[in-house]
Amino acid sequence: MTWYFAGVDIGSTMTKVVIMSDGGDICSQVIGPTGAEHRRLANRVMQEALDRAKLSFPEISYVVATGYGRLNVPFADSEITELTCHAKGVASLFPEVKTAIDIGGQDAKGLKIKSGKLIDFVMNNKCAAGTGRFLEVTAATLGLRLEDLGTISAKSTHRVKISSTCTIFAQQEIVSRLSEGVAVEDVVAGLHDAIAVRVVGMTRRLKIEPVVVLTGGVAKNTGVVKAVREKIEHEVFVPPNPLLSGAIGGAILGRDIVLGALKEGKPIPKKERALEEVTFFN
Amino acid sequence: MSYFMGIDVGSRTTKGVIAYGSRAKTFHTIFSSNNYREAAEKIREGLLSRARLQAADIAYTAVTGQQLDNLSFPFHKASDTRCCARGVNSLFPEARTVIDVQGQSTQIIRVDEKGKVVNFVVSERCAAGSGRFLEIIANVLRINLEDIGPLSLKSQNPVAFTTSCAVFGESEAISRVAEGTPKEDILAGVHRALAQKISTLIDRVGFEARCAISGGGGLDMGLIKAIEQELGLELLIPQKPELVSALGAAIVAQESKP
Repeated sequence: MTWYFAGVDIGSTMTKVVIMSDGGDICSQVIGPTGAEHRRLANRVMQEALDRAKLSFPEISYVVATGYGRLNVPFADSEITELTCHAKGVASLFPEVKTAIDIGGQDAKGLKIKSGKLIDFVMNNKCAAGTGRFLEVTAATLGLRLEDLGTISAKSTHRVKISSTCTIFAQQEIVSRLSEGVAVEDVVAGLHDAIAVRVVGMTRRLKIEPVVVLTGGVAKNTGVVKAVREKIEHEVFVPPNPLLSGAIGGAILGRDIVLGALKEGKPIPKKERALEEVTFFN
Repeated sequence: MSYFMGIDVGSRTTKGVIAYGSRAKTFHTIFSSNNYREAAEKIREGLLSRARLQAADIAYTAVTGQQLDNLSFPFHKASDTRCCARGVNSLFPEARTVIDVQGQSTQIIRVDEKGKVVNFVVSERCAAGSGRFLEIIANVLRINLEDIGPLSLKSQNPVAFTTSCAVFGESEAISRVAEGTPKEDILAGVHRALAQKISTLIDRVGFEARCAISGGGGLDMGLIKAIEQELGLELLIPQKPELVSALGAAIVAQESKP
């Protein structure tokens, strides 16, 4: 009999679900919006992951919720912090990882990992600069789609220096640069550089050691990856789907919990759970 | 005695004063419209025509705010801090601490009895510490800047903002609006957040009574109330707080006339 485990990573912007078998194979992975006001969509993302894996909810042996919205998830057996899940997920993808940087929609984290375990971290969730939000706001100002930023910045020949740290002031700064006739690609490259300066600067507090892995939605932007690489002066590895490391880590931790309990002959620490809306969001 | 001119080119508006001694004779405000040099030239023309004076009647001019070069008239480039300190001192000689809240920055200045700057701290790297935060929230609430103060004063339950970032604060305000929170409670929450930021800035330079407010923030009664509550004191409030630095610049022009 195959056992199945799910990791549900409810981020500020996106909910990520990974269903994994006890053999470590990923049966399905789904990324969907967390939902604007009341974060009520997480259960739908879970349902879609089940549908794709052709499984029903009771067939999942254990569900771990993580991320910003992990509390009060009615369909989870336990909640584990995103730092622990991320470290686990990244280490499963890159066993030699020592430094992991995760740039999410509204926060950024630097993780120090030793032998697959989280030993230290730094985090910014206080200021939009240095998070995906910075790019969201500035891309809107430029009238560009987030997913196009990487391709656009690749054309840059004279990267502009964005001197404002604050997202709001940077927004104004790019309007001035554009009115001076600076090319859009040079402005976008400047924005990528600005976010890299900020995030790498924060992570340096941990002493950056290779192997370095970059994850989070912003890691899908090749322009940011390039800028981070320049600052770090090491190779920077990006998983094929950089949004999923937290959910993968959650599924693996769920498997560890269940297998651990079985080994010791203890009952599996499951909760009464139902696949319902995540109604309360803290 | 002759006439001196002070010009304060701000991010949003440009203010000008013609002073005779330390008294403002004429003042004028226009929008900067993102062209600071033009704004400086226009305010000068506007001031001269309002005062019925010729360019030759102005002994010297000081310009503060945005850093400008090559204007059509001779001028002294004066620092924001110095101008603000002199301006406040001419109005309130008893003021020893100044809270200057501008559109894109906030500064706390410690001044002596002559209006000299003893110590100061500027917060200009983060929009959440300036009037800009209020502008952003007013935009979310679809109200005019001048209505912010009176509306905020009506609040019974100020909203607690969990963030100190203007971008995240904007999202929080949108969520509160969607939940049906009254506008005045959201505004009073922003005022409280700003007052707390100002209080931590004051901690960095120290405080000595009495305390005056200047800059566009001094027009906002909601902000004034929040600061007074946060600090537990009564602020000295100029009649035209937004003109204080321009008046100070006119005084600096007298001091620095070549």
